[in-house]
Amino acid sequence: MSGLIPIVLLGTLILIFSGRLLVQWSRQSHAQVVTIEDYTEARAALDSVFAETAAIKRIFATDDMEFVSQEGVGDVQRFFLKERKRLAIQWVRMTQKQVAHLMDLHLKLASYTYEPSPRAEVKLTVTYLCFILASNGVLILLWLFGPFEAVRVVAYTVRAAEYFCSEVTRRLENIDPVRLGSARQPRSV
Amino acid sequence: MDTNLIWLIAMALEAAILFRGLRTELQKRYLFFYCYIGCLFLIEVLRFLCLSVTPNSYGAFYWQTELVRIVASYAVIFEIFKRALRHNPGVARIAQELLRVVFVLALAYAASDLLHGGFTSFPRATADLGRYLLYVEGALLLVMLWLFGRYRISFGRNLLGLTVGYSLVVALDVVNLAFLSTPGKESSVGLRKLIPLTHLITLVIWCASLWSSQPEPLPPAERAIDRDYALLAAKTRAALAHLSRRVGRTSRP
Repeated sequence: MSGLIPIVLLGTLILIFSGRLLVQWSRQSHAQVVTIEDYTEARAALDSVFAETAAIKRIFATDDMEFVSQEGVGDVQRFFLKERKRLAIQWVRMTQKQVAHLMDLHLKLASYTYEPSPRAEVKLTVTYLCFILASNGVLILLWLFGPFEAVRVVAYTVRAAEYFCSEVTRRLENIDPVRLGSARQPRSV
Repeated sequence: MDTNLIWLIAMALEAAILFRGLRTELQKRYLFFYCYIGCLFLIEVLRFLCLSVTPNSYGAFYWQTELVRIVASYAVIFEIFKRALRHNPGVARIAQELLRVVFVLALAYAASDLLHGGFTSFPRATADLGRYLLYVEGALLLVMLWLFGRYRISFGRNLLGLTVGYSLVVALDVVNLAFLSTPGKESSVGLRKLIPLTHLITLVIWCASLWSSQPEPLPPAERAIDRDYALLAAKTRAALAHLSRRVGRTSRP
């Protein structure tokens, strides 16, 4: 009976993928052909998400929150927090949407190329999946803690990751290649 | 529904698909597919005659013709591959490599399982061979569907109907034959009753989607696309790297 599982899985996956094909077909405009211009536009659109860097930083800036906490009443504070949360979530979702669109165009254009590299495709897919994972993590943090606390957590994580990377690099640089070589020698009993 | 009625409707639908194919000249575009439908129609007629004239030999005849049907259905997979990827040389190349690997792996698995099981009788061996060929076909189809989805390959209405109908019939046949081959066959009773109906649904899908010739997606103009993959991948990588730098900068207080 256990031999049935992969076969049932195979059948189910075929049905799922053909359903996906139908959905894809119903969503796309059939006659439209993707061009390099569309791709350039998508990249520009992605850049535009970050165009107003100061304004984006303002969404997450704690100064405003501190000011409202000092001056404002409870209702104002709540309203302010709600608005900032909405804005932050909107910004993350917009970024997700733009990146997804860019990847979509990349894949369509890649299909027209003569020799796509499977290795490069896998690397790009991993990067994209990491982005989806991280951005959804940020969304959850925004939902749970609001923009000000969430940005603190994100900043802490980024700093920790940077510290970890630099520490690993430093240690690698300090490794004595001669000692590393001797460690590879088989031990004598 | 009465089995004979389903049978007759299926034959009528196959005849209708063939007739419409000739009228709309779609048989020129999807030659292998129409050959498969012709083969299917012939098999159905022969089975019907066999059941009416010599009902005792129907079991063995069914499995022999089923093997022929499964072998002939490989023509459909080839047709889908050829038509869907004709404007996408890069994906076609990747697909060819992947399909070759999957084919060898699935065939090796099927062959070892077949030899391991031993040959009890000729009809049984024929049925097993047909089942393993169907598994291989299912694996190939799965890889193709995954690639179509991943690279957002554009489909015309005709080819989409052909592919979806074919996927439905292969998926359910694979599961049905797997259940049939297990010792406790009673678990597949419901599925076996469902199979003729799904074959009928597939034929309806094919008949509807191939009733008239629909325009196919146009190939892109050469000047509007870039054939150099390395350049495209570098651009996307740069865009993603730029994005992560900006996000990092935004998250710093």
